Amino acid sequence: MALKEKDPVSGTNLTGHEWDGITELDTPVPWAARWALWGSIAIAAGYWVFYPSFPTVTDYAKGILGYSSRLEVVSSLKEAEAERRQTFAPFQSGDIASLAKDPSLEARYGAAISKLYEDNCAACHTAELTGQEGFPNLTDNHWLWSGTPEEIEYTIRYGINATHDETRMAQMLAFGADEMLEKPQVTEVVEFVLALSGQDHDALAVEAGEVVFEENCAACHGDDGRGGYENGAPDLGDDQWIYGGTRNDIYHSVYYGRQGVMSAWEGRLDDPQIRMLTLYLLWSAEDAPS
Amino acid sequence: MSTHHQKLERHSLGFAMTILVVASIGGLVEIAPLFTIENTVEKVEGMRPYTPLELAGRDIYVREGCYACHSQMIRTLRSDVERYGHYSLAAESMYDHPFQWGSKRTGPDLARIGGKYSDAWHVAHLEAPRELVEGSIMPGYAFLSEARLATGHLPASLKALSRAGVPYTKAQIENAEKDAARQADFEQNYEGELQDSYGDNVQVRDFDGAPGRLTEMDALVAYLQMLGTLADLETLNPQESSR
Repeated sequence: MALKEKDPVSGTNLTGHEWDGITELDTPVPWAARWALWGSIAIAAGYWVFYPSFPTVTDYAKGILGYSSRLEVVSSLKEAEAERRQTFAPFQSGDIASLAKDPSLEARYGAAISKLYEDNCAACHTAELTGQEGFPNLTDNHWLWSGTPEEIEYTIRYGINATHDETRMAQMLAFGADEMLEKPQVTEVVEFVLALSGQDHDALAVEAGEVVFEENCAACHGDDGRGGYENGAPDLGDDQWIYGGTRNDIYHSVYYGRQGVMSAWEGRLDDPQIRMLTLYLLWSAEDAPS
Repeated sequence: MSTHHQKLERHSLGFAMTILVVASIGGLVEIAPLFTIENTVEKVEGMRPYTPLELAGRDIYVREGCYACHSQMIRTLRSDVERYGHYSLAAESMYDHPFQWGSKRTGPDLARIGGKYSDAWHVAHLEAPRELVEGSIMPGYAFLSEARLATGHLPASLKALSRAGVPYTKAQIENAEKDAARQADFEQNYEGELQDSYGDNVQVRDFDGAPGRLTEMDALVAYLQMLGTLADLETLNPQESSR
């Protein structure tokens, strides 16, 4: 084997192979590529020494710097919390009722809180707070649970029909589907509710509907149908409807029932954030044309 | 001029042995840690294998390619934790085959979506995303509400997962079909049984708002409402689980 030969033109070594007089250059890998290779191996080795890397028999290699991305994020969250505690100082403690009496807060914090609202609440109640079908309007100053600051705070914290143990429970029964009412009775009581809310109705059916209402609905919605805050039963005499106020919509609600769910935000939001959102809703309701 | 390398590559047996040694080092570095990788999974209470209904929902999630836009991994970054909640744990995906971590988001992370919105919201949103979220580019999945959920394969799915190390019991595998239907039960007649079998954090209700019908929507919403709710993060020791 002839290894010594160099290519006379380029001066590079030959591999020593020859096919029909054709030989092959043994050009080395460019130096930059070689350095990049060895350099990255060295950096990888450095990472193994300094940072957490592979699992070991009983634990994992922690690295001599003791770095932990988890502990790092925990401390950066603490910093963030300290910043927020300063920025949002008025909301850190105190009861919600006295905060609600401070008119200066809205101008100072309203814009900041609207971001919090958009991140968490707007998906259901819309960015304008006007709600959509199945999700109540928050600007109309009509409340299911009375609309006092404490009650709004409670609803945000524990939700309605949510998975939290302290959650509010409210259920519109399926009077038709569960055979508590006959279909004609449902039709009659729907006419009564239409009359109650000042809509076009079948005057003949209203009288019978009133009897059905008194026997089945008044316990939650009140004798006058104007709602009951203890049960979260909506006022049927206004023009605000969560599930629609047409004849068909109301029939559907009475026949199949409703059980709207508001998530519990405890755990996802902290106490100051819940206070801020409570006030945000109060301010929006105040601004509403009643 | 004759370097070591030139000598080596001209010696067939020696060269073969060298290849073997170098490849073994590569293999060892990749494979050996897998034998003790359990050590890196944090100890946290509450994790359990997915119920058959949740698993069926997960299969739909994968089938529809939800992972292409949604990750299930809250990173250890302040911005991630502030928006999505507690950073994800290794333990939280230990029964995932395959995991749904992802390194790219078009939609939001879903690792802790469970309980954030109501079932009704999920159903309405999956059916017509732009009706609820203005400007959303998520496709609609209205057909899920119409599609009856196929449950026949579930015992086999559980069995396959149990071979991959998910601790399903024999009874759970046998009852998989029944359990799937029972978890979406409107009357919640079997809540106790399911919780005895899988754990207290099983949610039993009619997820899709259409009582009496077991649809793919039931399964997907059950899966979404479970995400991120299993691990009891209060039981996590931050020092011990630092990584």
